[in-house]
Formats: sequence, C-alpha cells, structure tokens
Amino acid sequence: MSDKNSSSLLVIILDTNPIWWGQTNSKSGANTCLSTCLNSVMVFANSHLMFSHSNKLAVIAAHTNKSCFLYPLPKEPVPIDPAVDTENEAEENSVKVPQIGQNDGKYELFAQFNETIKSEIQNLIFNDKLEGELYSDSLIAGAMSMALCYIHRMEKEASVGEDVSSRILVIKGSEDNAAQYMNFMNAVFTAQKQNVVIDACILDNDSGLLQQACDITGGMYLKVPQMSGLLQYLLWVFLPDPVMRCKLTLPPKAQVDYRAACFCHRNLIDIGYVCSVCLSIYCSFSPICSTCQTTFKFMGPPKILKKKSKRLAS
Amino acid sequence: MEDEKGYRWETEYEKTWEAIHEDESGSLQASIDDIIQKAKRRKMLEKIGNIRLGMMRHLYLIVDMSDVMNDQDLKPTRLYSTVKLLEHFIEEYFDQNPISQLGILITRNKRAEKITELGGNPRRHINALQSLKDRKCQGEPSLQNSLDLALQTLKHMPSHASREVLIIFGSLTTCDPGDIDSIIQTLSENNIRCSIIGLAAEVCVCKKICKQTQGKYNVILDESHYKDLLYQHLSPPPATSNTSSSLIRMGFPHHTLNLVNKEERPSMCMCHLDSKNCEGFNTTGYFCPQCKSKYCELPVECKACGLTLVSAPHLARSYHHLFPLDGFIEITLATLHDSDNLHCFSCLLHLKDINVYKCPVCIKIFCLDCDLFIHETLHSCPGCSSNRGNQHEKMDIT
Repeated sequence: MSDKNSSSLLVIILDTNPIWWGQTNSKSGANTCLSTCLNSVMVFANSHLMFSHSNKLAVIAAHTNKSCFLYPLPKEPVPIDPAVDTENEAEENSVKVPQIGQNDGKYELFAQFNETIKSEIQNLIFNDKLEGELYSDSLIAGAMSMALCYIHRMEKEASVGEDVSSRILVIKGSEDNAAQYMNFMNAVFTAQKQNVVIDACILDNDSGLLQQACDITGGMYLKVPQMSGLLQYLLWVFLPDPVMRCKLTLPPKAQVDYRAACFCHRNLIDIGYVCSVCLSIYCSFSPICSTCQTTFKFMGPPKILKKKSKRLAS
Repeated sequence: MEDEKGYRWETEYEKTWEAIHEDESGSLQASIDDIIQKAKRRKMLEKIGNIRLGMMRHLYLIVDMSDVMNDQDLKPTRLYSTVKLLEHFIEEYFDQNPISQLGILITRNKRAEKITELGGNPRRHINALQSLKDRKCQGEPSLQNSLDLALQTLKHMPSHASREVLIIFGSLTTCDPGDIDSIIQTLSENNIRCSIIGLAAEVCVCKKICKQTQGKYNVILDESHYKDLLYQHLSPPPATSNTSSSLIRMGFPHHTLNLVNKEERPSMCMCHLDSKNCEGFNTTGYFCPQCKSKYCELPVECKACGLTLVSAPHLARSYHHLFPLDGFIEITLATLHDSDNLHCFSCLLHLKDINVYKCPVCIKIFCLDCDLFIHETLHSCPGCSSNRGNQHEKMDIT
C-alpha cells in the first residue's frame, strides 16, 4: 500500500444463480438473500477502493446460463424500466434504484460503482427469461476466464513501472459443475501462471474445485459459517492483500483432496490406471479406452497367460 | 539433403523492408508489432488437433560444452545464454508435460558426460544446469558419443513413451570415433526422435540426423529466435506410428497436513533422505497409497514400490494439448453490424482495430490481445464456457 507505484486489481465473481438464491431464501428466511449479500459485497468493494487511489475493481456475475460484467461497463448503463415483470424471482422488491444525484457528499466513485452494480443486477434478473432447463449451478469457469482476460488487459495497460497485483474473489453458493472441470482447471493454471491469486468465499456447498483452485494459486478458501456475518468475513479475511496475509491470523488451510475421480464410475480412487494416449483415468483395467478408443496390450506376466490358454485349449 | 526449397540466398530478391511502414509519429514499432502478432497467429493456426500425441515424454537434453560455447555472439557467452534459456525451458517443460521426464547430458573434449539421469524433478535439473556455468568449455563436441549415451538409457524406456533427444549444438564440427550413420540408423530403429538447435550455421550431418529420426533442425538468428525455437519443443510431439499404448498404473496420494492426526509422529520423507539438515522431517506430506512411503512433492515415482504418484490436477494440466481450442476466425470490423459500438467480449476493450476475432462456436467477438492470450495461455474460450448451450459435447471426457 505504501508504495506509490503499486496498485491492486480485485475482480469479484458473484454467484447470482436464481435457483440457489431462491431455495436458500425460502429455507432460511430473510437474512440470506441476494440483496443483503450484495450490500455486503458493495461495502467490501468500497473498502477495497478506499485502501488506495490506484486500486481497481471489477465485478462479474456468474449466472446460471451466462456470465457477464457488472462493473465496469463497456458502455453507458441503459435506464431500466421498473415495470418489468418480476415473477419467479426471489429478490422481488429488494434492490431499489435511487436516482443518481441524490448522494450528495458521497465519494463519486463509490456512488457510481454502487449505482452501476445495482442497476446491472436488476437488468440481469429482469431480463433473465429462465427458459428451458433450469440448472442449479453457475458458470464460474466462464466468469473466471473473463476475469483473467480482463486482468491480462489491465496489466498490459498499466503504465511503465506500475506494479499491478491482481486477484480474483469468488463468492459462490451453488453447487460445482463437473462438466466445467476442464475449463475451470484451464483457468486455474492460467491464474497460477499469471500470478493471480484466487480466493473463495463459500456461502453454502463446499466446493472441491475451488479448494483446489485456492490451494494451487495460494489463495484463501473460507466457508462462511454464518451468513449474517458475511461482511465481517469479507473484510477480515479477503480485504488484505495476499502479501499482508502472512502477518494476520487467518483461518487455517483446509485439507485439499487431490484424488482423481475415475472416468468410468466417477469414484474417487487412490490407485488407478491412466491411458497413455489421452490420460483418461480408470479404476480398473479395461482393454479399450472409452475416451479415445485405443486398444491396450495386456501387460500381465506372459507365463501365466500361456498356461491359461493351454488349459482353455485342452 | 536436397530440399525442394533452396537456401535463402538462392531464392528471389526480396524487398523485406517494404513490409514495414511508419505510423503517424514516424515510429516503426506499430508495424513491427503487427508483423510479430500476425506471425504468432499463423503459428497458432498451424496447430492441428485430433492427432495422437506422445504425452509421456522422455527427453534428453544434450548441451554442447565445446570451446565454441565461449563465443560471445550471444550475450554474455553462448553457454550462459543457453543455461538461462534452458532454466525456463525446464520449468515450462514440467509445467506442460507433468508426467514426463527429462535428463541432461553434455559433450566436450570429444566425450559425452551425464549430468542428470532421467527424472521428473525440475529443481534437481535446474541446479545441475546452473553448476554447468562453473565448468570449462573446452575441446570438440562428439555427436556420436553423446547420442550413444542417450540411446543407452532411452532404448530401455517403455514403448508407450515418446523418446526424444534435443541437442543444443554450437559447434560446426563433430569428432566421432566411428561411423555416425550407424548410430543414426539405431536411433531411428529405436523410435528416438532427435532434434537439433544450431547456434552457428547449418551443418549437413545435423540435418541428416534430424531428417532420419523425424526431428526438427533449426539454426538460430538471434537470442529471441533461439527462445522461440527452444519453446517449440515444449508441446508434446505427435506420436510415431509404432508407439504402443497401454494403461499405466498410477497412484493418487492423499495430502496429509499437521492438523488432522495429532497423534501422528513426524517422519522423514523419501526425497530428502540424504539431506544433512532437518528438511523433510515433519508430519505433512503425500503418502504412497501402495507402500505408504512419504514424499513432499508430486509428481514422483515411488522409490520403494515404483508406482508413479501424481495428483489429478497434474493430469488436467495436459488436457489442453489433447483438446485444443479451435482457432478464431479473423473478420474485418467494418463488416459487422453497429461496428462503432462493439467491445471485446472478455476484456471490454472498445474495438477499433481493422480486424477482430470471432469464436466459431459461441460467435462472441474478441480483440487480438485476447485472441492470443486465450489460445496461448488460457486454452478455453470465455464465451463458450459462459454459455450453457455449447459446452456439453466437448466436455464429455471429464
């Protein structure tokens, strides 16, 4: 912070999955809804901006069928029509949009940021038709790839001598999506290569993928014990830069399960067989790889094989 | 070795300088950047998917340590420059080929010498490489002796692995005890791919070796070209037709931390057994699921039972070689609807360049920087992975 030439870029990925938020809200009452979470996130984001003039911020929503930037916006925000139909949504009357200009005395950057986030979330929810199949998981991998591209651009655009340290904070409640595994891992390895730290703030379901992501990139993984204290956790655990974290007493690192799931039964295995052509993992020996259709030589001891075949022949 | 294409000086008179134009401020930089990026894109498009790759690589690096490596055409000397580039190369090699192995040989004074055995630990190789700086470069190199030494180990490697030799060759001569043709023959019989990077000029015997063993032969122009050529060897080569395939037994050890078993006694890990200090003596580590020996780093081959120990992310790291991302289509911005108001999908940059890039699957538009970043580093399209419709067919493998 003290160094003039260093700035910190924080990209927040917010899970806005309407199914998960709706379920959680109906289960545990009013203190866990998207709007309260959003309030905490806004306070947290403002605090990050307040740390230093050069700090930068971006927010990406990971929705159920798309992921998109909430802040900054490529263009001027479009005025929203308040009369849009709001059925199916858990956050009906949650976010009110105050008129811009009513925030006299408020730091403009904060006001602008808060307005944009609120109106964009509203846009996202109102324009979301939720047609066809509904998914209870969000497209975190896509949001992470976008975040990495954005970070790549910001680091490239940084002035000479300016030192940008970037990190991604994923605030997630919904389940993991196994179908996204490859995209997710690609994003994690890219983050590791670009020195981007991935932090995860988990609201509900423990995420095996994010545990690995945090462990690989050296970030913090925290499952919030109490939703009402979300802001407290955000400010204590995720606000300090990774360089300062070693000086703080933070929750200990959790044990990460790096075992592989076999492609045939999706069981977690300790010892398995890996195809030398496509690296598919199997829990038992099979003569043909189901992924790449390669046939394998049987590697058993040849003497026993001969005996068996003789017996069979006789 | 008659190629269809002759040497550069035999081809037609080229006006290379006409490709460069000044911009408004009179600088050539924009034009040069443009050429570089076009070249990068071209290289990217050349990669074709759906070919069988030799994912398990066993590579011997042979470094020329003859007295020509003291030459100062690369700064500060050829050797220092080589060592520096190879350090990065080794790190990247293990990053991109996590279940592969590597070994280092040197050749000087007409002899070949083994610096490191084939192994999977980048640290050990890099340390050995750095110690080369203190050694003296002298005498003449011997291609035959060094290839023979590499052959002795590589021919015993399992047949499903890809066996490779990469020679950094500074000299223009080689001092061999016998007929080099016979060793070239044995190399190609044993399916060993041999590539050479020449630091001085093209040498006929090198060209012959590479051609007959299906390797690549290149001569560097300058240091950045050297780096490019070296990094070409990072991605796994296509598998030769007589590489067999098999299922390899591997272990996925659990990482045990201090906190879990309080009653657990600290123990010595297998990788630091010979260390004099107390490094490696603690309760954390990876335990082999077969024989319970402890290691502090993965991937490793268990010293006690020979099982290859990896973690799932290690394997995932190589998937992008197997399922490469399709190239984006270059389109002119002006042909697009509402072309003044378009933004790059992933970085929000306002698109102003003449050409933009479109993903053929999700039809999202990207800027040139993102296009390169996505294909070189990220290996997955942000548009496709943030859209439900088009990610399932490809994802079936996980």
